[in-house]
Amino acid sequence: MNRRAAIRNMALILGGAIVLPSCLHDDKGKAIVELERLKIDAEQEKLVNSLTQTILPKTDTPGAAELGINLFVFKMMDDCASKEQQADFITGLKTFADEAKNQMNKAFADGTDQERTAFVQSVEKQSTDKNFKDDGKLMAFYQMVKGQTIFGYTTSKFFMTKQVVYELVPGRYNAMYPASKATA
Amino acid sequence: MANLNIDSIKERTFDAIVIGSGMSGGWAAKEFTGKGLKALVLERGRDVKHLKDYPTTNLYPWEFPHHGVVPDAVQKANPIVNRCYAFGEDAMHFFVKDAEHPYVQEKPFDWIRGYQTGGKSLLWARQTQRWSDFDFEGPERDGFAVDWPIRYADIAPWYSYVEKFAGISGNRDGLAELPDGEFLPAFPLNAVETYFSNHLKKNYKGRHVISARCAHLSKPNQIHLDQGRGQCQERTLCQRGCPFGGYFSANSSTIPWALKTGLCTLRPHSVVESIIYDDKKGKATGVRVIDAQTKEAIEYYAPVIFVNAAALNSNLILLNSRSSRFPNGLGNDSGTLGKYVAFHNYSAHINAEYDGAKEWTTDGRNPAGGGYIPRFRNLHKQETNYLRGYAAGLYAYRGRMQSGEGIGEDLKKNLVNKELGGWQVGSHMMGETIPKESNYVALDKSLKDPWGIPQLKISVDYDDNDEKMKKDYIEQMTEMFTSAGFKNIRPGTDHRAPGLDIHEMGGVRMGKDPKTSMLDKWHRLHACPNVYVTDGASMTSTSCQNPSLTYMAFTARAVDHAVGEMKKGNLS
Repeated sequence: MNRRAAIRNMALILGGAIVLPSCLHDDKGKAIVELERLKIDAEQEKLVNSLTQTILPKTDTPGAAELGINLFVFKMMDDCASKEQQADFITGLKTFADEAKNQMNKAFADGTDQERTAFVQSVEKQSTDKNFKDDGKLMAFYQMVKGQTIFGYTTSKFFMTKQVVYELVPGRYNAMYPASKATA
Repeated sequence: MANLNIDSIKERTFDAIVIGSGMSGGWAAKEFTGKGLKALVLERGRDVKHLKDYPTTNLYPWEFPHHGVVPDAVQKANPIVNRCYAFGEDAMHFFVKDAEHPYVQEKPFDWIRGYQTGGKSLLWARQTQRWSDFDFEGPERDGFAVDWPIRYADIAPWYSYVEKFAGISGNRDGLAELPDGEFLPAFPLNAVETYFSNHLKKNYKGRHVISARCAHLSKPNQIHLDQGRGQCQERTLCQRGCPFGGYFSANSSTIPWALKTGLCTLRPHSVVESIIYDDKKGKATGVRVIDAQTKEAIEYYAPVIFVNAAALNSNLILLNSRSSRFPNGLGNDSGTLGKYVAFHNYSAHINAEYDGAKEWTTDGRNPAGGGYIPRFRNLHKQETNYLRGYAAGLYAYRGRMQSGEGIGEDLKKNLVNKELGGWQVGSHMMGETIPKESNYVALDKSLKDPWGIPQLKISVDYDDNDEKMKKDYIEQMTEMFTSAGFKNIRPGTDHRAPGLDIHEMGGVRMGKDPKTSMLDKWHRLHACPNVYVTDGASMTSTSCQNPSLTYMAFTARAVDHAVGEMKKGNLS
């Protein structure tokens, strides 16, 4: 995915102009995000967008949607993930969609905040279960999305200027600094 | 037409030719032009100008398309250089990509290269420790390689000379094995590094943790300001090129200094194919260059030639400089050219935790990286089942208790947790390796690089000595960490190929005897004394200190000698 496309996509999504796919006859539709190596349809795109927002919702601070983290996740999966990881991502995405549908009786993206959160919480719980067998790559998919969501968030301009400030030019090294001051 | 040719030859004739513009070539350029001589500096890569050509230097993490991560396609296309710790999205434009300059790995060797003005001096880890006589006397005492033709006393004033100009931060620690230099203030050890330093002082005779000495302007002197360089701002983003000139690179220091004299011609995109040897005159007369862009061959002439192409490429140039007098490579009467290549063994490390010093942390970032443990093994006498020894890095840090647990509001809270975790402690091994005839580089018989030059075949490997030393490092560090009360001690080894240390050395070694070495005590080819080699290729042994400072001192000393010879008329 090139940078220009990412910006255009971000503008589209942030502007709420998601009315485009109506012209498509394919029942699942074409994804809006322009990807080169990762092939997903509109429904899958919606699921991932929705999942990043469930992991990182808008609270009193911006969430994944406001910060465009969903696009970052796609970009990283498209450009930086290996072929094997991409295959797991697609397989796991399907498993995730099926499991969500079973549990929620509707598509993941169509769930309410509570329904989506409840489902993702159940996945979180499984992720700490050592006996969990990730045959359907659900966990691999989930952890890739969550990992990239966290990475994108903690390296976002918002986080690095408003939450935990990153200094490009510290201009100092205090080797002996009171711990009490650091946490203040 | 004849006149044109004469003019053209005149235009292509200099007082000195320097092959390479990096760590050592930059020094040769500065020294020649500083002594009033006209120098041609040949750089095989593109020109990278200080400040102007550091495109990523002021970018925040979120301004990189992948926030610093190298895209998969780049990783897959570059399995070798991708293994280098500094090959990130912020600096990958300064590294040679695998396909750009192919070579033959008879045994696995990660050849990490920077083809541009400044070479790898833009990218280095900036650690700068002097050698001592424990190092120069090593081969003779322990019976390997050949005796160095020089001792510490020969090089000490030149260490001082280059340190003053480059700017080296450090403490005067008073250790015979790591002589003190002309230091700017050191970057201090933090609470746990100091604790461990005191622990060693109390319990282990002859073992020390000192502030790592590094080429950073902790407090610039006038000579540094005169270079247009300023105080290090502790960014620790050095591999991008420094907007303050806070660390030493040829780009920020020696090359612009040389250019300022008006006597230096820097020619980028100039791949040196060979050094021209004139059988009748009995000396080298110039170099043959392939323009990297046009692939045209051009010759340049000078009475003295400095080979500073970086260790293995210096070998390649000499190997490819064949004449009827030297059918096996320039100056290769001894048959040792390309042989006795060695490196540093970085394949072991250890990590641990420390419960104490909870009242302290650090603030800002440490460009020196922490502490340095000078070699303590086999220093005064042979005491282990292997030869020589290792230095080690030693660093401690505390991070926030940031965690990625949970989702939603919980996750957000976990990610901004400012509470400090415990101290993490780490160390890595830097081991001396023994140069051997069987560790060599040679010209491949059939494969050529994109400039029509034979590809370099590299055949370098670890040996039993390295394995024993690695084991000892793990044992000693584990024991010292344990007695210091460190917890969760996790030693580790990796199977990295030689080369990833980026301290490849030798192949054109110095020595007293022309029958067993290539260079004399002034870095001149025994058999062709108007050619000097002053980069890593000239190393007779490797010791365990980071080598760049020594290359700088060697180069300044050798240029001084060459200019003395010119004045005596010995090089005309």
